[in-house]
Amino acid sequence: MEKTKRKTVPLLLALSLCTFWLAGCWDQTEVNDLAIITAAGLDLTEDHQLELSIKINVTSSSGAQQMGGSSDPSGGGGGQSIVRSVKGKNMADAASKLQQVMTRKVFWGQDEVFIFGERLAKEGLSEPMNFLLRHPGPRERANLFVSKGSAKAVLELDPPVERSVADALRSMAKERTGLNITMKELAQMMTGKANAAVIPLVEIKHTQKPQDSFPFIHGTAILKNGKMIGRMNAAATRGILWLRNEINRATVTVSPKNSEGTVSVQLLRGQTKLVPHIHGDDWAITAQIDAQDDIIENTTDLDLTNPQHIEVLKSELQADINRRVRTALTQAQKKMKADIFQFADAFYRQYPKEWNRNKGRWDEIYPKVEVRLQTNVKIGKSGLIGQNLF
Amino acid sequence: MVESGKISASQAGKLLYLTVIPTAILTSPAMIFKVAKQDLWISPILAWSGLITVFIALRLHRMFPGENIIQAGERIIGKFLGKMVGLIFPLFYLYLNGIVVREYGEFVVGALLVNTPLIVVLGSMVLVCAIVVRGGIEIVGRFAELFLPAFITLFLLIIVPILPDLNISNMLPVMGEGIAPSLAGTFVLQLWFSEFITYSFILPFVTDQKNAAKSIMFALGAVILTLVVSNLATLLLLGGLTGDYAYPFLILARYINLAEFFTHLESLFMAIWVLGAFVKICAFFYVTVLSAAQWMNLSDYKPIVYPLGFLLILVSLWVAPNYQEMTRAISTSVNLSIFTVFVAIPVLLFGLACVKKAVHKNKNRR
Repeated sequence: MEKTKRKTVPLLLALSLCTFWLAGCWDQTEVNDLAIITAAGLDLTEDHQLELSIKINVTSSSGAQQMGGSSDPSGGGGGQSIVRSVKGKNMADAASKLQQVMTRKVFWGQDEVFIFGERLAKEGLSEPMNFLLRHPGPRERANLFVSKGSAKAVLELDPPVERSVADALRSMAKERTGLNITMKELAQMMTGKANAAVIPLVEIKHTQKPQDSFPFIHGTAILKNGKMIGRMNAAATRGILWLRNEINRATVTVSPKNSEGTVSVQLLRGQTKLVPHIHGDDWAITAQIDAQDDIIENTTDLDLTNPQHIEVLKSELQADINRRVRTALTQAQKKMKADIFQFADAFYRQYPKEWNRNKGRWDEIYPKVEVRLQTNVKIGKSGLIGQNLF
Repeated sequence: MVESGKISASQAGKLLYLTVIPTAILTSPAMIFKVAKQDLWISPILAWSGLITVFIALRLHRMFPGENIIQAGERIIGKFLGKMVGLIFPLFYLYLNGIVVREYGEFVVGALLVNTPLIVVLGSMVLVCAIVVRGGIEIVGRFAELFLPAFITLFLLIIVPILPDLNISNMLPVMGEGIAPSLAGTFVLQLWFSEFITYSFILPFVTDQKNAAKSIMFALGAVILTLVVSNLATLLLLGGLTGDYAYPFLILARYINLAEFFTHLESLFMAIWVLGAFVKICAFFYVTVLSAAQWMNLSDYKPIVYPLGFLLILVSLWVAPNYQEMTRAISTSVNLSIFTVFVAIPVLLFGLACVKKAVHKNKNRR
C-alpha cells in the first residue's frame, strides 16, 4: 500500500504537469491573430523593384463573432478585406517586409491565388516561382494568373456574388472557359522539355458602379524560358485548350453554308490525343480530336433529325474546331515559337532515343513540326425539337 | 538469455515492414528519380539486396537456431574475430539510427514545427522509444502490430484521393533508355532493402519458426508493393518535378483536393511519418541495445537503454552538420557502408559457414 502510494503521487504530478504543454498555449496562434492571405499579387515597379500586394480577410476579433474559429464573412458583417503592398529587391525580400506593415502574423497557408503583373511576367517568373515553391506556406495547388496591367489593381476589386476576389478568380478558372493552371503545373511546364508555359490572363471588367467591377479570364499569356513573350485572345485560347486536352465546356455557334441562320451546339466531352511521328528529319504530330456535342439551338432550315443534315453540321463543326486549333498553332508555333502544347514531351514519350539525339535542336525543329488534325465530332441529342419551327 | 520475450512470426513480419518502409516513402522517390527518371517505379521490383539479406538471415538461423548473426559469427570465425565483427553491428545500428532520428527531426522541424528546436523533437522521440525498448521485444512487436493498420489506412487516405489528379502519360516512355536507369535506381534502394538483415536479430524470439520465412517474404513483397505504389503516385502527379522536391510524397498529401472539401491533408502525412519513424527507431534502437548487451555479456539489457538513448541523440546530431550534407552522405558513403555491413559481411559469414560445414562433413565421412 505504502509502496503504490509512493509511485502514484509522482505519476499524478507528472500527468498534471503535462496539461501545461498539451493545452498548446505555448505556440498558440489564434485565427484572429493571423493575417490570412487569400490572394497575392506581384508587380514590377518602374524602378525595377518587386511589389508584393496581398489581400487579406479581416477576421474580426471583437463583438459577437468571437466564438467559433473562422467566421463566415458573408454572414455577419465581418467580411472586410484589405489590400496591403510592400516593395522589395526580390520576392523573399518583399515577403519578409510584409510583416512590417501588418499588425497580425502573416499566414500563407490559405493563399490559393497568385497574380503576376504583366510587366513582371515579361521580366521573368523564375525568381518569384523559386520562392513560392521553396516556401512551405504557399500551396502547390494555388491558381496562377497573369494580369493585364497591375496585379494590385485586380486585388483591389471586391467583386459581387463571390466572397472575395480570390474566390471569384478560382471559380472562373475551375469553369475552364479559359485555362486553369496551378503552381505545380507552371513549375512542370517551366522545367519541362518544352520550356514554354501558358498562364490564364486576367482582365478587369469595368462597370458603371466601380465597386461592381470584376476580374475575368480573357485569353492566355505565353511564356518561353520563364518570360512572357506574348498573349493570345480568347478565341485562340480555345485552340490551346483543345490541343492541351483541357477543354471542358464550350458552346459553338456555326452558320452552315447554303443555309441561313445559325446552329449552336454545346460541347459535352472533348478529348485530344497527340500522336507524334518521326520519319527521318520530318517531325510530325497528329492531333486526334474527339468531341461530342449536343444541339442547343437551330435557326437554319436544316432538319436535324435527318442524318444527312447532321453530316453537314458535323463537317461544319469539325472545320470550326480545326480553325480554332490552327489559329492557336500559327501564333504559338510560327510567330512566338513557344512549345506551349508540350509537343516536346509527346516526342520524348514516343521516341526517347531520337529525342535525346535532337533535344539540343528542339528550338529549330519545333517551328517546322507538321501538325495534322484528325477531328471527329459526334453529335448526340438534338434537343426536344428537330426542325426549326418558326 | 538477455531477452525473455517472444513474438509471433506475423508480428516480426509487420515489424520489419514498418522498419523498412517509412523513410523509404519519404525520400526514396526523389533519390531514385535522379538516376532512374520516369522508371523509378520499376526499381523496387528489381531490388535484389532485400532477397539476399532475407535469405541469409533465414539460412544462418537455420544453421544456428536461436542465435542472431553476431552470435553465429562467433561460432563461424572464432571468438576473437567474431567479437571484432560483432562490435560493428551495435555501432553501425547506432549510427544508422542516428541518421533516421535526424531525418525524422529535420522533417518535422522543416515542414511542421518550424520554430521548435531540433533537439526537442529528437529528444522526445528517443525518450519514448527508449521506454518502449526497455519493455522488450514483445512491446516493440506489439507496437508494430498495432500501428500497421493505422499506417496502411493513412497511406491509402493519401493515395486514393490523389488518383483523379494523376496523369498517366508522365510514366511514358517505360524503359525508354533500357533497363539500366531503373537498375541504377535499385542501388539507391538497396539502402532500405538491406535493412532486412535486422530480421536476423528478431528471428531467435519468434515462436512459430515454421511461419518465419513466409512472413518475412510477405513483408518484403509488401515493401516492394508499397514503394511501387508511392513512387508511381508521386511520378504521375509531379512528373519531371519529382526529383526537385525534397519530400515528393508530402506534396502528394498537400495536393489532394476532393470536392473543395478534403484539402490541405499534409497532417495525414505527418501522422504516417511519426508512426513509421517511431517503429523504425524502436526496432533499430532495440537491435543496438540487444547486440551491445550481448557483446558485453550482460545479463540484462535494460540498464544500458537510457545511456544508449542519450548516445543516440548525440549521434543523431553528430552524423551531419546540416540536412544537405546528410542527404548527400545517404546517397553516397552511407549507401556504401550499409552495403558493406548489411550485405557484404553477412554474405561473407554465410559463405564461411557453408565452407566450414562442407569441410566438417568431409572429415566426418573419413
